[in-house]
Amino acid sequence: MIVELSVTLSIGAGLFAVGLYGALSQTNLVMILMGVELILAAALVNLVAFWRYLHPDAMSGQMFVLIVMTVMAVEMAVGFGIAIARFRSRGSVEMEEARELKG
Amino acid sequence: MTGSVWELFFLVFFGLAAIWFGIVVFRTHSMVRSALALLFSQTAIGAMFMVMQAEFLGVLQIMMMATEMSVMALFMVMFMMDPGGMGAMEMSHQKRLSLRAGGVGLLAALAVSWLADWGPAAASIPDASRQVELLGIELLGRSMFIFESAGLTILTSMIAATMVAIAPRKPGGGT
Repeated sequence: MIVELSVTLSIGAGLFAVGLYGALSQTNLVMILMGVELILAAALVNLVAFWRYLHPDAMSGQMFVLIVMTVMAVEMAVGFGIAIARFRSRGSVEMEEARELKG
Repeated sequence: MTGSVWELFFLVFFGLAAIWFGIVVFRTHSMVRSALALLFSQTAIGAMFMVMQAEFLGVLQIMMMATEMSVMALFMVMFMMDPGGMGAMEMSHQKRLSLRAGGVGLLAALAVSWLADWGPAAASIPDASRQVELLGIELLGRSMFIFESAGLTILTSMIAATMVAIAPRKPGGGT
């Protein structure tokens, strides 16, 4: 067993759990985005740990990290765009009030 | 103490700091404090990367998240009804379900991380300058298409986010 790898993956698991709790429990769009950020951060921690302790010579591991960072930036940009549009039309980004798409 | 023990110590230290600040994000009523707590959490993760000898990724993480969280704090102040948390507004729902989902996710991930057979640990790691060199070769070689696609995706999402955010023009000429 590689203790450092398991410890780092456990920290990733903790971040994932906190992020999942936040994404599900918050009513504000910006706070939900923060939860998603934490989930993606957990993925980053896991990717770097796998690269460092299993395959440090394969740079495709670091490449994956850059892709996840891109996803984080894209998620924030699109999320804030939607938040601005929502705030402009409804005056709030509270997701409990967003029931227009409910069937 | 050997290098490996120090590495483990700092991994645990920064890891616990990252998780703790992650919890603070959802515990505080002040939105600015939430954004700052997320910044500290992401910075602790960047420090973990450096402990794992991924210096380039660590610095990138800290720089990117410092910028991102500053923007996020601005948005928080603009959009929240009570950005300072003075009224202690309740901004959460379905707490029990969320706690259960988080708990199940945590247990599943912990079980995998401790019970799986990960194989042998890598014997050596390239030094920082060699890593950057190898990453450059990877980005401009085998992974070039993926790398360029990521750049194009960011550009597209920037344009899309701007278009979504622009106020629609009314037929009368005003915005």
